[in-house]
Amino acid sequence: MQEDRRIVLSTHGLTKDFKKLRALDNLNLTVYEGDVFGFLGPNGAGKTTAIRLIFGLTYPTSGYVNVLGHKVPEQRQQALRHLGGFVDDPTFYGNMSARRNLRLIGEMNGEVTEKRITEVLELVGLAERANSKVGGYSHGMRQRLGIALALLHRPELIVLDEPTSGLDPQGMRDVRELIRELGRQGTTVFLSSHLLHEVELVCNRAAILSKGRLVAQGPVDQLRPAGGAVKVLTRNQRRAAEVLRALASPRAVRAEEEYLVIESASEDLVPEMVRRLVAEEIDVLAVIPATEQSLEDIFFELTERVAVEGEESGR
Amino acid sequence: MSHLRREFLKILFQKRTYFGWVGLFLVPFIITVAMRLSSEGPPDPAHGGPYFIGLIKTNGLYVSVGSLLALVSFLLPLLASMAGSQTIASEAEKGTLRTILMQPVRRGALLLAKWFIANVYVGIGLLILLAGSLLAGGVVYGLKPMMLLNGETVGLGESLWLIFLAYAFVLAAMAAVVSLGVALSTLTDSGLTAMAAGLVLVIIMLVLGSLSVFDFLRPYLFTSHFDAWVNLFARPIDWDPIYKALLNFLVWTVGMTTIAWLIFRRKDILS
Repeated sequence: MQEDRRIVLSTHGLTKDFKKLRALDNLNLTVYEGDVFGFLGPNGAGKTTAIRLIFGLTYPTSGYVNVLGHKVPEQRQQALRHLGGFVDDPTFYGNMSARRNLRLIGEMNGEVTEKRITEVLELVGLAERANSKVGGYSHGMRQRLGIALALLHRPELIVLDEPTSGLDPQGMRDVRELIRELGRQGTTVFLSSHLLHEVELVCNRAAILSKGRLVAQGPVDQLRPAGGAVKVLTRNQRRAAEVLRALASPRAVRAEEEYLVIESASEDLVPEMVRRLVAEEIDVLAVIPATEQSLEDIFFELTERVAVEGEESGR
Repeated sequence: MSHLRREFLKILFQKRTYFGWVGLFLVPFIITVAMRLSSEGPPDPAHGGPYFIGLIKTNGLYVSVGSLLALVSFLLPLLASMAGSQTIASEAEKGTLRTILMQPVRRGALLLAKWFIANVYVGIGLLILLAGSLLAGGVVYGLKPMMLLNGETVGLGESLWLIFLAYAFVLAAMAAVVSLGVALSTLTDSGLTAMAAGLVLVIIMLVLGSLSVFDFLRPYLFTSHFDAWVNLFARPIDWDPIYKALLNFLVWTVGMTTIAWLIFRRKDILS
């Protein structure tokens, strides 16, 4: 569905090969202004490869990235003026303080005031350690400093690669709240994560990547099936499954203990199911709503489907 | 803050920078003490290079020339190779290369700044060596007008000027080594590998230059021209080998830096 909002980040047929390995395959993403966009995928799916391409750290085999009208890699410098963030673990000069690191690196992107450095350090909770050498920082503190650097120039788009990795629960909560707050303030955030509940908690839109291919993209609530799942209890589960598979689809019906679970059961489908079962003289004892399918369920369903399709096409 | 200031600040925050500089400051003192303890007399002028070292006992100014002779074939190339190879590879190894390349900087400008500051580092090292030499030689033997290779003596001012030119010449020679190091630095994500590779190549060139069977290669190896500055101390000055050497250094410097740029501008930063 076409949105009215401005497109901040898009990728167009983005493909990256490392020798014989295709790490990213024809990735087409669209991130709109104000989105907190979740970029989900299991390890090795190609998330970090995609982020490196967004920052122009690597060159695509084909395709390109567009950041606010600037093509990457051709107009990498102009694009990076609107972009902040980090890839993998944020890295800094260990023999310098956090404040000096922010000044040294930040000034590559224009003037930086001491006041702004103090502001971002306070925002990520590092103000008290601002003058300590970064070499002595824990992993979590470096993550926070990475976020501080990303925020330093108030970029329109912030790209964060697993920003809560290595943080304690309180730190995770703080960072998620910070991301939500950035979203509320209108900053577009592109958040790579393998934590599905994190994406559900923080993001309004998401994309799912598996084996370098995009398997789903859209608003988080629309990534779930349109209808809810229902559980049906009958006296003859085997025959009921046959009837329901003919009515819905073979994949949508599965047995779960004494129940049959029918995914994506729309409002029209449920009465029709009952009518068919009764017509086939199968006693329907109960029809109850199943727990709503989480993004995690969708994620595993989609990534497993890609894996199966990959195996089949390989045969 | 310009790239140059930033890169210079970075080397000032590294301990190894000071180890290199302190080492260069100490070398003239070691040479002076060794000469003071040695019982050998002044050497025969026909011996060329070593002749200067032997003359240290007669004039402290020769410490500066002797130190240069002692270091030009190994320690200074080691230092230059280290400076060049740390430019890209060391930052890639630490992961800071991706942090700075995620800022809106031109890769070419960054590479040039790093190349320049690596040469500044070597240049400061040479100045420290010169200062240490004048201090050690001056304190122990005093600074007097120099006797040149043909036995002619020139005034103290001209002597110092010739020594300065010799150091400037060696800086040009080391620029070729730095450039080789920078080129190697773009090929690997390990600073140590780049430094070792640079040093091995310098040693191979030294070996090739010392074997008569490879004489045809000598004009092209920068190591074969490292000691051409000695001709500054002849009367009249023999400029031909000096010009040839400078041309050789220039070709190597421009060639290696261009190769480094060609590699770095399209390099995938995966570290």
